[in-house]
Amino acid sequence: MAYSNKVLDHYNNPRNVGTMDKADPNVGTGMVGAPECGDVMKLQVKVNPTTGIIEDAKFKTFGCGSAIASSSLATEMLKGKTVDEALTIKNTEIVNELALPPVKIHCSVLAEDAIKAAITDYKNKFVNTKAAAEVAH
Amino acid sequence: MTGPKLEGDYFRFFGYDRRLALDPDDLQKRFYELSRKFHPDRFARMPPADQQYALDATSILNDGYRILRDPVARAEYVLKQEGFDVGEQRSKDVPPELLEEVFELNMALEELRGGDASARGALEEAEKKFIAMRDRIDGELAALFLEHDAAPGRETLQRMRGVLNRRRYIRNLVAEVQKELA
Repeated sequence: MAYSNKVLDHYNNPRNVGTMDKADPNVGTGMVGAPECGDVMKLQVKVNPTTGIIEDAKFKTFGCGSAIASSSLATEMLKGKTVDEALTIKNTEIVNELALPPVKIHCSVLAEDAIKAAITDYKNKFVNTKAAAEVAH
Repeated sequence: MTGPKLEGDYFRFFGYDRRLALDPDDLQKRFYELSRKFHPDRFARMPPADQQYALDATSILNDGYRILRDPVARAEYVLKQEGFDVGEQRSKDVPPELLEEVFELNMALEELRGGDASARGALEEAEKKFIAMRDRIDGELAALFLEHDAAPGRETLQRMRGVLNRRRYIRNLVAEVQKELA
């Protein structure tokens, strides 16, 4: 199967590969996977707690070129968005941007799942940190 | 023309109750018997409807044998029949511990990959480890088959599905490390 140039670009020069400290209260981590293809995708966001803006995003994906490209693109889309804006990102945006063929659409779905998982993780932490702070007062 | 009804499931077609622990020798014996029974040559002088029946039966027989003789395919077949999503390409229902585990195993493998010839020993170790994991999973699967056959139920099937998911990941890791060693 031929990959589009954009997929190849993200595959050969993935943006924002890496990991952040999972224990950091400002970091949300999403880990998702698709057993059928053997894919695992880890996506992390670092949020500014006062503005709610995603200041950094990192990913590490083991999987096919489309899965890597989808998560690489996802990290680019996330930076600068608020957490609520991030939740509105749809896999179709990734499909269109990367010109993914139908058999690879599930890779973009996985990336959307990873975004949602990371944001949810951050939000849970945020609520817990606040609750802990209130208890301390 | 009498013969098994062509609809229904592969188990019934082979004359089994729906059970997962099958004896491969017995399955093969039944496959050969049925193959002889439906061999198109034996239907050459029969009415067209019977010839068609024999052809359809032979095709089901071959498909069924391919599925039933492979324990993993057999288990997936039963799961599908019971309405479980099999081979879905999303992370729904994949336990986080499994994803963590697979992620870590992949990380370790990636580190070895970049290395020079001295990494070969470590890669061979990794291969052994993955194969041992796969064998252990196959053991778990065999035990679940017996459990299912003794008392079929969704809870057992649910666990089976989890074991099969894990097996897919480990199978891929085995393939990855072997590609590296080739």
